[in-house]
Amino acid sequence: MLDVLFYVFSAITLVTALLMVLSPNAVNGALCMILSFVGTAALFVLLEAYFIAVLQVLVYAGAVMVLFLFIIMLLNVEKGEGGGYLKDRISLAASIVGFALLAVLVAAAFGGGSHLPEPGLSAVVDNPVGANGGFEFSTAMKSFGYSLFSKYMLPFQVAGFLLLAGMIGVIVVSKKPDLGTDDDAPTEGQAPEPSNS
Amino acid sequence: MNEILAEFLRGYTATNQWLAILPEILLALLALSLLAVEMASPKAARAQVGRVAFYGQLFILAVCLIGCFTGPATTGAEPLFSGMIEQSGTTQFMRVFFLLCSLFVSYLGGIYLERQPLARTEFHHLVLLVAAGMMLLVQSAHFVMLFVALETVTVAFYVLVAYGRNSVGSLEAGLKYLIMGALSSAILLFGIVLLYGVAGNPALAASSSDSLQYSALAEFISLHDGNLLVRLGALLVVAGICFKIGAVPFQIWVPDVYQGAPTPVTSFLAVASKAAGFVVLLQLVQGPFAGLGALLVPVLSIVAAVTILFGNCAAVVQGNLKRLMGLSGIAHAGYLLLGVIAVASGVAWAEGAVLFYLFTYLLGSFAVFAVMTFAAGTDDTDQQISHYQDFAKEQPFLGGVLAIGLGSLAGIPPLGGFIGKLFLFIAAFQAGLYGLLGVAILGVVISIYYYFGWIREAFFSHYNETVPTKTAILPSMRDRLLLGFLAAASLLLGLYPAALSLLP
Repeated sequence: MLDVLFYVFSAITLVTALLMVLSPNAVNGALCMILSFVGTAALFVLLEAYFIAVLQVLVYAGAVMVLFLFIIMLLNVEKGEGGGYLKDRISLAASIVGFALLAVLVAAAFGGGSHLPEPGLSAVVDNPVGANGGFEFSTAMKSFGYSLFSKYMLPFQVAGFLLLAGMIGVIVVSKKPDLGTDDDAPTEGQAPEPSNS
Repeated sequence: MNEILAEFLRGYTATNQWLAILPEILLALLALSLLAVEMASPKAARAQVGRVAFYGQLFILAVCLIGCFTGPATTGAEPLFSGMIEQSGTTQFMRVFFLLCSLFVSYLGGIYLERQPLARTEFHHLVLLVAAGMMLLVQSAHFVMLFVALETVTVAFYVLVAYGRNSVGSLEAGLKYLIMGALSSAILLFGIVLLYGVAGNPALAASSSDSLQYSALAEFISLHDGNLLVRLGALLVVAGICFKIGAVPFQIWVPDVYQGAPTPVTSFLAVASKAAGFVVLLQLVQGPFAGLGALLVPVLSIVAAVTILFGNCAAVVQGNLKRLMGLSGIAHAGYLLLGVIAVASGVAWAEGAVLFYLFTYLLGSFAVFAVMTFAAGTDDTDQQISHYQDFAKEQPFLGGVLAIGLGSLAGIPPLGGFIGKLFLFIAAFQAGLYGLLGVAILGVVISIYYYFGWIREAFFSHYNETVPTKTAILPSMRDRLLLGFLAAASLLLGLYPAALSLLP
């Protein structure tokens, strides 16, 4: 069963990732990307990494992609060529899948009984104490916290600077050049030089 | 929290000695304080930011040097931060190396930014972050640390390459570097993940729950060097690093990015980024991939031979100087790979030869790039060889520095570059890489042609009467001091190579 599910979700992830690249319409591309993220989240669930799966859905499929969609729709990107008759079929298929998902959700919510297993913190006592000892991995959120703030402290801090560099980068690249800080610098952008090669 | 758990966690944090990475922390603090200085100071005083960055880095360089000479003797590699980083003599040397690079880049960046209507603070901020990231990168002994540090460096570089917002070339270069960099990161990450997966398999001998740690991985790979996943993972990791050093099948981004990026950033990419890639490669070849010599030596040999030939042949016909420096940089990556291969096939002192070569490459490259920064007009991407007509007559000092820099890069005897090449070739000879040695010597001969084409353009008079349109900035006393230092150090290392105490 797990094997089959793995192949199903891997296929979903790969196919939607491919569709995202190939899609001529930016909105469709973004939606395919969401599906791809959801497929990845499902793979995390199969690996019993529930916390990462939840984060994947909340952060990537949720927050980040909503921003993407907002920007794409606000920018009013031209719609690519799409087959007219295909659209109806896709809408039909999409609504069927949507209703099926709703049915599953209702059944799961009211049927009860099928909860995900409760993750627990494994005994860490057996681990060797020392610089090179392995950290016993468990899916409990606590375990992430312990690792992040003890063993992986330095990469964690560096990741903060990585994000800072990204933020500064966005400001630098999106700022108009003539909003520069100096008054003495030449105001014109590029003076084309006569090349005598 | 129960006592045992607390005790256990204390064991993990015992090696988090933050003082050991004091220079990196100071760099990060300096970078942050630059932003604060810009916010707090009035508009007219913002030109001071560059000065703050420069002198701050000088101070950190002093701290780093003092740490090198007075700190606890670092004989072997010391694991710190639960095995995330390891410090050794090599990493100490590379820290000073990267600090020198960022110093020069900050300085040249100040000159470049004076002529461009661009923000200044962010440039220095990013340069400092890159320097700190690279210093951590070469010290990392764990793939998680390696990847995070590498991404910090790469993300900052994406921005730096696209920094010339007013130039189409810079934006194009930024986009190209972004795409190629993301691709190379993906390849590297895929390799790391394969290694993590296979070395964490409890069914195999010597598997480890912390299989991204270099020493644990080395132990695993020495037992399973025939495993397909191990080989594939190692090859992908090496391929990801080959992107960074610009070795041949992965060199495609080099000319365009080098041309489009602002000249100081180009020099940073050419010297520091390449050096970081090579040191990481050296550490991998000596550490986790030590058991894979039979696979890596032939692969790297082919890559090195093609790299040397491609870089030199493509540079011969190049008229744009930034592209020429990029392509010749590819050739230099090929020579350096010779040293890496020698290390991989058992000549241990070749590591010192690679580091020595990197240092002479730093001196030579920064001399040339500094002259290019002074000589460039407002359009930074368009620097042709023909702009250097009669350059030495008008600017004898800059011409002299240019000649010494180019001579060192070409490997002309009294200069440092010659000694660097000589020792690399001796190492390759001892490792028995005769065919590769022949290719490398052929490459050096070709390289002399284009380097001296540039020198000829600058020094010898012409019969055609075209008047050069570029007007170089006259270097101030401080500029002369810096350039003079670069040229003198090149000369000193050529005459007295023992000054660096890296060679046998």
